[in-house]
Amino acid sequence: MNTKFFRQLTVLTLLGLLCFTVSCRDKKKNNEPEEPEDAFDKSGMLINYADNIILPAYQSFSISLDSLNQAYSVFKNNPDLPNLHALKSKFVVAYTKYQRCDLFELGPAENTGIRGNFNIFPTDTQQIKTNISTGIYDFSAISNLDAKGFPALDYLFYGKQETVIVASFTNTNTKQYVTDLLNEMTGKCNTVITGWNSSYRNSFINSLGTDIGSSIGLLINQLNYNLDYLKNAKIGIPLGKKSLGIAYPDKCEAFYSSSYSLKYAIETLDLIERVYNGKSLNGSNNKGFDDYLIHLKVQHTSGTLNDAIQTQFSLARTKLMAIAEPLSTQMTTNPTVVDAAYAELVKLLVLLKADLPSSLGVVITYQDGDGD
Amino acid sequence: MVIEKIKKYLTSQVSIAPLVIFRIAFGILMSASIIRFIYMGWVEKMYILPKVYFPFFGFEWIKPLPALGMYIVFGLLLITALFILIGFLYRISTISFFLLFTYVELIDKTNYLNHYYFISLISLILIFLPAGKAFSLDNKVFKRNDIKSTYRYFIFLPQLQMFTLYFFAGVAKINYDWLIEAQPLKIWLPAYSHFPFIGSLLEKTWIAYFFCWFGCIYDLCIGFLLFNKRTVYFAYFLVIVFHMATSLLFNIGMFPYIMMTITIIFFKEKFHIAILNFLEKITNYSTTNRIEKNNSLHPIIKYAFIVFFVVQFLMPFRYALYDGKLFWTEQGYRFSWRVMLMEKAGTAFFFVEDKKSGKRIEIDNKDYLTYMQEKMVSTQPDMMIDYAKFLKEEYNKKGLSDIQVKVQSYVTLNGSGTREFIDPTVDLSLETNNIFKNKNWIRSY
Repeated sequence: MNTKFFRQLTVLTLLGLLCFTVSCRDKKKNNEPEEPEDAFDKSGMLINYADNIILPAYQSFSISLDSLNQAYSVFKNNPDLPNLHALKSKFVVAYTKYQRCDLFELGPAENTGIRGNFNIFPTDTQQIKTNISTGIYDFSAISNLDAKGFPALDYLFYGKQETVIVASFTNTNTKQYVTDLLNEMTGKCNTVITGWNSSYRNSFINSLGTDIGSSIGLLINQLNYNLDYLKNAKIGIPLGKKSLGIAYPDKCEAFYSSSYSLKYAIETLDLIERVYNGKSLNGSNNKGFDDYLIHLKVQHTSGTLNDAIQTQFSLARTKLMAIAEPLSTQMTTNPTVVDAAYAELVKLLVLLKADLPSSLGVVITYQDGDGD
Repeated sequence: MVIEKIKKYLTSQVSIAPLVIFRIAFGILMSASIIRFIYMGWVEKMYILPKVYFPFFGFEWIKPLPALGMYIVFGLLLITALFILIGFLYRISTISFFLLFTYVELIDKTNYLNHYYFISLISLILIFLPAGKAFSLDNKVFKRNDIKSTYRYFIFLPQLQMFTLYFFAGVAKINYDWLIEAQPLKIWLPAYSHFPFIGSLLEKTWIAYFFCWFGCIYDLCIGFLLFNKRTVYFAYFLVIVFHMATSLLFNIGMFPYIMMTITIIFFKEKFHIAILNFLEKITNYSTTNRIEKNNSLHPIIKYAFIVFFVVQFLMPFRYALYDGKLFWTEQGYRFSWRVMLMEKAGTAFFFVEDKKSGKRIEIDNKDYLTYMQEKMVSTQPDMMIDYAKFLKEEYNKKGLSDIQVKVQSYVTLNGSGTREFIDPTVDLSLETNNIFKNKNWIRSY
């Protein structure tokens, strides 16, 4: 510790002060408004996501699964048309509620593999038939991923004429197959809720960073995954985006209960929008990514990024709403209308996949970045 | 006159201790890095799982080995790093380490990091240093005498390499976005607003400016401060502060620790001799007699090193030969010590298009690219070309012959907001990655 050291320290401090004044001058020049004193309440945002959005979505899904189970046990013991109708209506409710938690594939849901086990479509009808006729199947096998979950039920409840369906449920194997399907789904859903309630909630709300395993990072990744899924699986692939424009209507989600495909697509968009805005189903709007962007005053090419995203959400919704039902027939009869919706989803994806994480400094990979 | 002075300085006799300590530090750090790399599962993620690789221009012949081969390469890297550490088969070990490490880094642009490039260069320099001539297993096994002193220039070479890294990292920071806009730190720092005590500070604009300016001045000056005997310890204090800060704030792995450790080569001789004596004591390493023997570098190698550094000094400026904004086009971006300079993200939709009908197949990048590859391809034109060529081949195999590959892509740079990045009408599969050609199909920024 000599005088030299102190002299250098002084020089550095002066340099620091110089930078400070330069930056302050710069600030005045740009007429930036005074910044808020407090940092953004990320913790509050995550608590909102956990308590008002994610967990309620699973709980509501769980309740709808229970009703579906009840309706099914009634139908199983007494397969007739009225019971089938009751069953179908419960099925639609459960599938709708499922759409509302499909995005949250993180923590316990990721470990349980909800998406891959609940909603792989198009379903493999041949595999389902084989499974039922032999009565031998292992739901944990990869080969059965597209022979179970909602798409399989969609086929089994809607895939033929109602009288034929009712008749098919006199078969013990069919009954057992659906029982097993529903049991698996119920079990996995409960696992997720238990996981959230026991410990995951705490780790979720306490992970405040933006690195790869952080809650914000995970949520934004899943938000994009879900949007990608909407764009590709629910709209693009059936429309022929991956097949030189040749449409494959049977690749639509909920193909057999066809009048719901579009509803589910809109549900997905709604969910993504709610998550972006930090809005719960009952309409209360708390802290979300929108507030985070507003807080950071993130700009886009013209106006704020938040405005651009909000505008794009409503554009995408308008274009989706413009499609007539059922979605599967529109793929061939009105492809331009579907394509218009697709184009808006692409724009939305760009905003949420590139702009959103980039402006929040979200890291998307485990690999080391470039050192300094 | 000056030349004479420099010559005299470089050829003066100094203790060999700093080189030995440097060798040991390098060996320890590399072993740790390689173990970490394998442990993280990155060998598989980066060199086994990908379906397509993005080689460097001129090194297209470099291909990954099958899984077992890649693990053998990493095993050998670990062994050679340990051999360097203990000074065993020094020449063979350093050559092998350099070749294997560089081979791995050349497989895929996706994984390019300036700090890997730096390790390649340092390990190349290491081959020519007499760092294994004292306190080494070689001397024990082959009954050689330890060397006591050596030429100053042997220590100067790795020092100059470190100086180059810092200085040009500083030069790279002299740009509008960094100094005037405080970008990308204006984006990155607020992400840490949850840190205790300093959190709310990190959202302040002036802090971003302070960090930017401090970082730039630090990088430009630190090399000089390290070289100066009177300021070396103060400089080292700054090195610690700077790298601790970066390792706290950024996801940059081992790099800060590597830099914090190997900069001790700038310390005074006494320091290294003391450490060496201590190490010799605890390992019972006794040398019957130390000799004053000088192996000088062959003149050709001396000139080669001059060229080696001159090329490095020119590399960062080659971007001026290309059109367009450097950060946007990334033409001439790599191998220039541009570190943590931009926040760039994009989305790219690739299309395989039938030439006759104009009908398209939209590619789901997840089908072919790893997460990291997709991120990199989305913002780097040269990688887009490789990917387009790969897609063309894939679809030729599927029986589509008359096709072109186009991209619809949007990129945001330092918070600019996404804009169209590439001319969507261009058939990328016909474009070239020749670095002597301008990529004129990149939209202007």
